[in-house]
Amino acid sequence: MSTNLNAFIIADPNKCIGCRVCEVACSVTHTEGAAVTAGMIDAPLIAKLYLVKTATVTMPIQCRHCEDAPCAQVCPVAAITQTKGNIIIDESNCIGCKTCLMACPFGAIDFVPVYKNGQIVSQNGLQVETEDGLTEKEMVVASKCDLCAGHAAGPACVRACPEKALEIVVPKQEKKKRNVDAAISLQDAVKKFIG
Amino acid sequence: MRKDKARVTGLDASPIIHIDQELCTGCQRCVAICPVDAIEGSKGQPQTVSQERCVACGQCVQICSAYASIFDDDIAPREQKIAERGLLPSVKEPLFAAYNRGDALKVKAALTNRSLFTMVQCAPAVRVAIAEEFGLPLGSLTPGQMAAALRKIGFARVYDTNFAADVTIMEEGSELIQRVTTGGTLPMFTSCCPAWVKYVEQTYPELISHLSSCKSPQQMAGVLFKTYGAKVDGVEPEQVFSVSVMPCTCKKFECERPEMEASGYRDVDVVITTRELAQLIKDAGIDFVHLTEEEFDKPLGTYTGAATIFGVTGGVMEAALRTGYELITKEAVPEISMNFVRGGEGIRKASVKVGDLTLKVAVVSGLKNAKVMMEQIKAGKADFHFVEVMCCPVGCVSGGGQPKVLLPSDKPGSYVSRTANTYVHDENLLLRKSHDNPDVQKLYETFLGEPLGHESHHLLHTHYTARK
Repeated sequence: MSTNLNAFIIADPNKCIGCRVCEVACSVTHTEGAAVTAGMIDAPLIAKLYLVKTATVTMPIQCRHCEDAPCAQVCPVAAITQTKGNIIIDESNCIGCKTCLMACPFGAIDFVPVYKNGQIVSQNGLQVETEDGLTEKEMVVASKCDLCAGHAAGPACVRACPEKALEIVVPKQEKKKRNVDAAISLQDAVKKFIG
Repeated sequence: MRKDKARVTGLDASPIIHIDQELCTGCQRCVAICPVDAIEGSKGQPQTVSQERCVACGQCVQICSAYASIFDDDIAPREQKIAERGLLPSVKEPLFAAYNRGDALKVKAALTNRSLFTMVQCAPAVRVAIAEEFGLPLGSLTPGQMAAALRKIGFARVYDTNFAADVTIMEEGSELIQRVTTGGTLPMFTSCCPAWVKYVEQTYPELISHLSSCKSPQQMAGVLFKTYGAKVDGVEPEQVFSVSVMPCTCKKFECERPEMEASGYRDVDVVITTRELAQLIKDAGIDFVHLTEEEFDKPLGTYTGAATIFGVTGGVMEAALRTGYELITKEAVPEISMNFVRGGEGIRKASVKVGDLTLKVAVVSGLKNAKVMMEQIKAGKADFHFVEVMCCPVGCVSGGGQPKVLLPSDKPGSYVSRTANTYVHDENLLLRKSHDNPDVQKLYETFLGEPLGHESHHLLHTHYTARK
């Protein structure tokens, strides 16, 4: 591998119990004020990874930080870019067109309301007709895993998981580790038969 | 009159701990933490609570992380869930699957009812935790701001559970001395923790006689509010509305026990948790962080350091030893701080020289550890005089009604700082032994007579019910 591939976080469905602590940790880490207790939170928890729970599988899904980032390729306002091995959405430039949502094969991008000081942020100018007459339309922006960029302690979900079901995959290291594992297992197999 | 009172207070004995079937993912972290195996269900499916076994400790409420997400579109609207849970409509915090019944609406209604004379008490552990809900560091000690906030909300009298904790020591210490000197049932168990009491009643009814007959500080305060307190203020007992703020969800169960009406009325009308008080303070638009500190009202708000350490494991034991030592030996206790009974989750044992007597004591923290102790006692292998048991991991500071720490990594630190600041508060108080509390002395001189006396027996002691 000649280039440094983007790292990503992935869950082990055999370990995940579906407790959603990862979502809580993600949400808290990405909220101003960094709440420690539930009572400190005055806006909905909005996570950047999503627990999937079906009859057969339980695990959170989040951004894979694709090398060709289809979300970035289709973004009409260039709000999605790669910065230091991390595909990042500049939420302030997002126009909410949802093209990235359609392009992402994992459903890793969602569109979320914006809160400031516990109050929902409205769009400039745009209004919506409701039963109560015209009201300001809430701002909605694309949101996805940013690997907790800017947080020295690293991804909050990985640290918070009580089952250690989440891990950061650094592809280059992962590949080397697998090569070594394969070599050892091959050596063991040879020993077993030849002595 | 009593019937009317029940209507006024909205006394309801509905279950305290619930699991929201729409939100529960069946991760079963609550099952792992429940000390009495009260949570039932299959893995991956919504869990339910066996109300019979549940001791309402609320540790499931603390650990639950299955929240109502704005992306979940197949769940009931937030407003509906807020109403179902008995929360104030102004509550903004996220909702989790495991929750306790809310009672703040009843308090808010009482505070606007001009025919009621409202009195409030706060448990020791509330003052080292409530500030967390307003963004102050974990374990911040704020008794002065708490008293100010309660007064601002509109309580006529801001009293304190700590006063009653000092009274508890007078009664329980005397009871211990009586049991030791007259060949009574030993070891004597503490009876402050309602989850522990319910556990003994339902799991070890044959050991009920070991429980101290003392009511908990909450219930002693409640009965004193409507008797002595009413007299102090010249109000009729039926006018008094008695509110208790607790770090504990099981205190709601305790106050609703049918026998808790020794004053002639429901001794404690409503119990709210630390979290619910924070919600009431926010609802009233009070800037808690910038409040100027205020004092609790006298006489039922005067307290010593011995009372405030009731909030941590080993605290009741230490407070009892400080007073017991001096009552028996008539000498000052050599070292007020007794590190040998302090600590974290588990069982601690110690022998203390009190005059000619070597008092053997044990402190148990975490209800799962109590089982070990109980089996030893049943087998006659534990020759203790006095055993303190607290249900929650490190005592009431880690109670089910305390601010819910969101991330597992923050939890140990919250326990450490809430505990440390409880001891800081004790050390900085002028009086640190319950029998030195001047208003407790006055209570005995002018109203109760003596510990274990006739009035005390009637008002401050109780009996237990086998639930097997």
